[in-house]
Amino acid sequence: MDKISDYILKAGTIDRRWIFLIIGLAVLLPLFFPLGLPIRATNATQKVYDAVEALEENSKVLVSFEYGPSTKPEIHPMAIGLLRHLFTNGHKVFVTCLWPDGQFMADEALDEVAKEEFDLTYGEDYVILGFRPGNEAVVKGMVSNIRKLYTTDARGTLVDNIPLMKNINKVADFDFIFSASAGYPGTVEWVQYASDPTGVPLSTGTTSIMVNDIMPMVNSGQVKGILAGMPGAAEYEALIGTPGIGTSGMDAQSIAHLVIVLFIIFGNITYFIETQRSKKY
Amino acid sequence: MIWKRQIPILIATVIGFATLFGWFIDHPGIESFVNDDATQWYDILASFAIFLGALNLMKLQGKKVFKQQSGWQYSLFAIGGFFFAIVAGFIYKGNDAVEWGVHVTSKGTLFKWMFDYMFTPLSATMFALLAFFVASASYRAFRVRNLEATLLLVSGIIIMVGRVPLGSSISSWFIMYLMVLIVSIAVNIKLKDKKITFSTFLGGVLIVTIWGSSLGWPIDQPGLFYLPILQDWIYNNPNVAGARAIMIGIGLGIFATSIRYILGIEKSYIGE
Repeated sequence: MDKISDYILKAGTIDRRWIFLIIGLAVLLPLFFPLGLPIRATNATQKVYDAVEALEENSKVLVSFEYGPSTKPEIHPMAIGLLRHLFTNGHKVFVTCLWPDGQFMADEALDEVAKEEFDLTYGEDYVILGFRPGNEAVVKGMVSNIRKLYTTDARGTLVDNIPLMKNINKVADFDFIFSASAGYPGTVEWVQYASDPTGVPLSTGTTSIMVNDIMPMVNSGQVKGILAGMPGAAEYEALIGTPGIGTSGMDAQSIAHLVIVLFIIFGNITYFIETQRSKKY
Repeated sequence: MIWKRQIPILIATVIGFATLFGWFIDHPGIESFVNDDATQWYDILASFAIFLGALNLMKLQGKKVFKQQSGWQYSLFAIGGFFFAIVAGFIYKGNDAVEWGVHVTSKGTLFKWMFDYMFTPLSATMFALLAFFVASASYRAFRVRNLEATLLLVSGIIIMVGRVPLGSSISSWFIMYLMVLIVSIAVNIKLKDKKITFSTFLGGVLIVTIWGSSLGWPIDQPGLFYLPILQDWIYNNPNVAGARAIMIGIGLGIFATSIRYILGIEKSYIGE
């Protein structure tokens, strides 16, 4: 028994580079050899799907991009999934960005979905208003008067000359808001300054780490569901029936989480043996 | 002194009160100030702040290079990156077919190239490294030291496994067998009696097996031992309770600080 304990303790002093290597393999291998684990939608994801489904055809949806390349693997799949869902149901999409790099993400997502998949017309089916500095002040400004804040869209076209912008003057003119958010400014600001005061329903997609902060708002009904990190994106893809990047990343995330849990358990076994020995001697 | 102290405090007090009243007084003038003017002032000030921030960045990094302080080589990259971005943003488009301003996000421009091939990979790499550090740190620091640490550890594991598809593939009966094993180990450690340990283990296995057979082994029943349901419960109950408490605390803190600013008690913004 002592020999086994010795082996375990020796293994417990493993160099952290081995841990890095194992995690790297745990992420990489499932990407090359997918396991096809079943994806089950949580209530929070189902609420987002139901909120979009409840919209009448031709609804005006404001989608805000508040993430950048660092959080792209988590948020971008849900943005793509949501845009697919919105365009499939025949809604009009208006994009705004509270983060400067959000505009790049929006361009990429709309190129992929609106242009390539649905062959939609810019200015008639969707429009990118772009980034404006000012964080929550931008949200507040949009609630009051969009045209004061945005005289031109992201392509330099006068907002007054864009057909889709006809009769759009403030946030209250939209039927639904979706915030694809990776931090501040993001979902919280949209709830505080736009959705709550105007009563326009809002859903969100956030990084896993932000879910804790948003959950109270989901429970109180201020936010109609939440797509929580990459699992949320995968669940949404399953609901709309179009597997994408979120789904393919789920196997890798599952195995990586399992490996981390196994490391934690192993670490605790070594800790237990150490404390038992120190008590003994 | 009046320009550096009294006037700024007076401005903060007047604007603070005006903005606060905008939420309570139904007057078109005040409402328009809060909704339109104040937010536009903020936008203008934020733009100036970006300019000041850039100047400050150059000042600090430049000082580091000139004095050759530790890590000055990194500052060279910061300065180089800054000027490269300025050139790509204001001086050289790289694609004459695109208008100034729109060139920032248009294909074929230097700025877009910089974003796609420099900023994106660097930014993604920094964030991706977190996975490795989290794994290493969890292995070394996540220990069952006391009750609080154990609760944190158990809920962390439930969230980690229950949140991903793997968790929904793990039957609640497997978790129950696992629980029987853990309880038996705990009994053995506490009582150090092989007979009691064995009977605890055997009794537990029998109960779970009979119960499972009678129900037909449904993967998600009983829900108490099904990881996705458990993680949902943790998110929606203990987590929401804690998050709400923190939010209320932050709200009260913001309120108190704002009142201090408006009344001129808090003067850190003028350097006092």
